[in-house]
Amino acid sequence: MTDPIINIQNISKKFTRHVVLDHVNLEIMQGDRIALIGLNGAGKTTLIRTILGQYNHEGILSVAGGEPRKDRVEILQHVGFVPQHSPPIQMSVQELIKFSGKLNKNSDASAICEIVDDLGFNADDHKKKPFLKLSGGMKQKLLIAMALAKKPSVLIMDEPAANLDPAGRKAFFLRLSKIHRETTMILSSHRVDELLALINRIIEMDHGKIVLDERTGIHSLAGHLVFCKLKIMDMTDPIKKMMEDWNFQKNSEDCCYEGQIMDVDRLRFLNAISHFANHICELNIR
Amino acid sequence: MKETWNILYVVSLADIRESIRAKWFFIYILIFGGAVVLLFVIGITESQVLGFTGLSRLLVTYIQLCVAILPIFILITTVRAVVGDRESNVLEYFLSMPISLGAYFWGKLLAKFIVVFLPVGLALLGAVSWGIIRSLSIPWHSVGYYILLLGTLSWCFLGIGMLISSLVHKQEWALGLAFLVWLTLLIFIDIIMIGILLQNQVQEKIIITISLLNPLQAFRTGAILLFDPDLSAIGPASYVILEALGYEGFLTFSILYPFGLGWFLAWLGYCIFKRGDLV
Repeated sequence: MTDPIINIQNISKKFTRHVVLDHVNLEIMQGDRIALIGLNGAGKTTLIRTILGQYNHEGILSVAGGEPRKDRVEILQHVGFVPQHSPPIQMSVQELIKFSGKLNKNSDASAICEIVDDLGFNADDHKKKPFLKLSGGMKQKLLIAMALAKKPSVLIMDEPAANLDPAGRKAFFLRLSKIHRETTMILSSHRVDELLALINRIIEMDHGKIVLDERTGIHSLAGHLVFCKLKIMDMTDPIKKMMEDWNFQKNSEDCCYEGQIMDVDRLRFLNAISHFANHICELNIR
Repeated sequence: MKETWNILYVVSLADIRESIRAKWFFIYILIFGGAVVLLFVIGITESQVLGFTGLSRLLVTYIQLCVAILPIFILITTVRAVVGDRESNVLEYFLSMPISLGAYFWGKLLAKFIVVFLPVGLALLGAVSWGIIRSLSIPWHSVGYYILLLGTLSWCFLGIGMLISSLVHKQEWALGLAFLVWLTLLIFIDIIMIGILLQNQVQEKIIITISLLNPLQAFRTGAILLFDPDLSAIGPASYVILEALGYEGFLTFSILYPFGLGWFLAWLGYCIFKRGDLV
């Protein structure tokens, strides 16, 4: 049995008198793909920040055999991180890409550009724009690309898909599903359904404790796409816009749209088209 | 080691770029560049006050302006360095990258020093260049000393700023504390508090200690001392200090003390920063 890549033994963290992590014990193995779930204030972000070496704590923590506080530079070369809220960085897109490329040994600017392009954001078109002036989705895509370009051993993402448009989500989940099997992933989210296709372990936190730790096995739907066809009557501009957002193509038959959605996005898609339910005369998902 | 320097360079460069883009930097250049231009325009080099004339007169006035404005300007812009990044989650993101805490902290300090010192230093050199064109006599010795003095003053207040920035967790607190520090130092320059202390027959040693501890006092006295070796133009405490340290001694002290104090306070700030929660 190999050593865990992240070993958390009896970790506690308090802010003044408020206990945020309460004697947490966790062994995360290489290749574990974890959905870290829980309500707001459950301790997810604190646990992530502790793993990143940003908080002092009680107990023992090791990441890739080192202590994140002490050996931060060596450890963080192998950790990719996407924060919950995009930071208001003033650097231009081009400067930020170069900055990330220079700091991370395994990454470079061209790799970042390639991934971000794949996610549906052409960084070259916005290279002079300050990062903080990008839209929420664009920022998220760039942060994701910078994390993935490192080819990290541990990938930590805090609500990574929250700001992405449907096309971006699809590209993002496809990217994740293709990541090397040995990569350990910790994906923090309020919703487990959208992560089911990617994970093999669910950890739920509540009041600073781990209340559920369950292996799920790789879901057969990993990266799976479903075909979808809609026939629409009385086409309107909002419907056209929504179809474009989901990257659906109008086919030769008038008023018919076809496209693919991630299986995990099925509910989200049905919810989106429900606003135009009166206009849909045929729906086919297979 | 080479890698640490490389990271420090990358962090500094990023911070310099951010500062240059910020609005405060334009205001900063406008104030200090504009001050020199204004002093020339109003013909200060032609006037004579207490024996100072020509470029010397301009330098003295410029230095006096720097004493009044530079420290608070540096404090306001520096105290937000760490705490601002912390509040806006920039620190969380940057420190998730392989950046050592030392490279982050000292890289930021170095960048702020370059951004703060270059415009003031260049404005001074600009004045000298203009003086050469106008065939004014250039007090080279004073120019060199003033550049050193401006550098150490900047470094000292950057150290204070970085310490405050590491200590507090809210930008409002940082700004409030910066203002308080500046006011306290201002009160303890000789024209105000020290004068009162002398009037009330406070022991000489206490007066000297208070004066010597105040970097603003050291800077101000050092700046004047070069043109007024008897310090006839400024307050009572300066006589006492001059008597205690001597002319050369005080000029050296005015450079070394703020520089050392800046290093010490910055180092203290760094220790606090790296020991506590980073975000």
